[in-house]
Amino acid sequence: MSTKDHSHHFLAFSTEVSAFATFELWATGQVEAYLATVTAAVGDEILNELLFTYEKICLETEGQPSSKRKARLRREIFGSEKLGPVARNIIKLWYVGTWYELPTAWFEAFGVRSKDVTFVVSPAAYAEGLMWKAIGAHPAGAKAPGYGSWASPPRIPAFAGEHANAQVKEVQVNRNEGLAK
Amino acid sequence: MSDTITTLHALKEHLYAAMQLEHATIPPYLTALYSIKPGTNVDAVQVIRVVAVEEMLHLTVAANLLNAIGGTPDLTRPGFVPSYPAHLPDGETDFKVSLASFSKETLAIFKKIERPRLAPGSQKLVKRLYRGSVSVLASYPGASDMQYYSIGDFYAAIEDGFDRLEKEANAAGKTIFIGDRKRQVTSEYYYSGGGELFPVIDIESARSAIRLVMEQGEGAGGGIYDHERELAHYYRFDELDRERYYQPEDRPGHPTGPTFSVDWQAVYPVKPDLKLSDIDGNKNPELYEAALSFNQTYAEFLGQLTLAFNGQPQLLLQAVPRMFEFRNLMGDLIRNPLPNHPGQYAMATFEIGDKELVRGVAIEEAQA
Repeated sequence: MSTKDHSHHFLAFSTEVSAFATFELWATGQVEAYLATVTAAVGDEILNELLFTYEKICLETEGQPSSKRKARLRREIFGSEKLGPVARNIIKLWYVGTWYELPTAWFEAFGVRSKDVTFVVSPAAYAEGLMWKAIGAHPAGAKAPGYGSWASPPRIPAFAGEHANAQVKEVQVNRNEGLAK
Repeated sequence: MSDTITTLHALKEHLYAAMQLEHATIPPYLTALYSIKPGTNVDAVQVIRVVAVEEMLHLTVAANLLNAIGGTPDLTRPGFVPSYPAHLPDGETDFKVSLASFSKETLAIFKKIERPRLAPGSQKLVKRLYRGSVSVLASYPGASDMQYYSIGDFYAAIEDGFDRLEKEANAAGKTIFIGDRKRQVTSEYYYSGGGELFPVIDIESARSAIRLVMEQGEGAGGGIYDHERELAHYYRFDELDRERYYQPEDRPGHPTGPTFSVDWQAVYPVKPDLKLSDIDGNKNPELYEAALSFNQTYAEFLGQLTLAFNGQPQLLLQAVPRMFEFRNLMGDLIRNPLPNHPGQYAMATFEIGDKELVRGVAIEEAQA
């Protein structure tokens, strides 16, 4: 898997697990930085395994209700001793811009890596955390919303819940393109 | 032909054109500003931001001038927002202003926009021919083939027009300043907007208003600072070009202040003058929808400004958070790679007008 494929699959997987559209993920400006962070923290091999597993599940559940795909994601990725903590870390990365050190049990079983420490990826990553969008607020100390704006209630965007399902089609389209390479 | 404005109608049309001209600089400045990668180029960000904010002030000053003589500012008139690239005058020739990323080339255009220059003789208007579809700014209202030699000449003509028409009116025991004073936008409605806003109520305040716009852009009578001791826009851009700050007593072209560096690579390379039609709505519905809704939100914003300039200045206070939203929406678009254009990024297209009418249809198509 080349880096280009990596970013393609990484985006597809991130879209699925963050419940944000691919457009919103690019909009953070953090795609490359996060991919580099995950690669450094867990190594190419484990990230590949995660993304291949995701691709396989998408392939094998094509045309079935999304509940099937979700159940398999839960079992084969989030339930996996190896892939689960990494997948959860990727979600946290998108939402708060921070990589959290993996649990002790994880690196005891799968190896210690020097880049697997808790850190904020960059000042921009903090400001671009999806959690701010999710709660309709702005990051404290960054992206000020303008004088007097605090007088208005927050506007919470309508993407929660089943919105992620709406992206299934797109995820599959991307995956087909990925296979064609 | 130095007496170019001889009727009140012509003066009103010139002031509408001035609003259009001042506004037209904002999308290019904001596109360049938000193309700079977050956390980089703090000097460049600061310079462009200050200039953009002052252009918003100029837009408001032009509205005050128009209101002062009983005109009706209308930012929703078709064609108020130009189709980019738009043409601006620069002496014997003209140049195109595009929506593009921050770069050496873009900066050169920005300097041209703000360049201090007046026609060498009394001939302020020059004749030029354009294709019908081209947006030409600072042309003579009602005679699009006649264009002012420079933006400086355009404003000089407006000042002459005010002088002449007020003198004529006074001779007849009247005044041209018949506008409702409550329509004047003053600083209390304008948060931290790049300068003091005063009401235009007579020939003196009208002259001061015109001078403010000219000096902030080009410098005061050849100097690099305006009367508020602030560096004119042209020299702010010159600082970026030379990567060195001006300080008081410096001569034009010779800044002697601290140096800084510009990272020309820390920029998202947007596709210049992107149009909505360049984005395939079927393949990229999210991107298409975001670009479309930006245009619609911006059109609504211009509607809100129109109300603010027509007797409801308090609406300007609500417009502030809206402008911060534009910053976020434009940034979102600019960080999205443009499909089918390898290495290029999307941006806000600023296509305001008939395009939004097709919004419903476009969404249906995108979902099909």
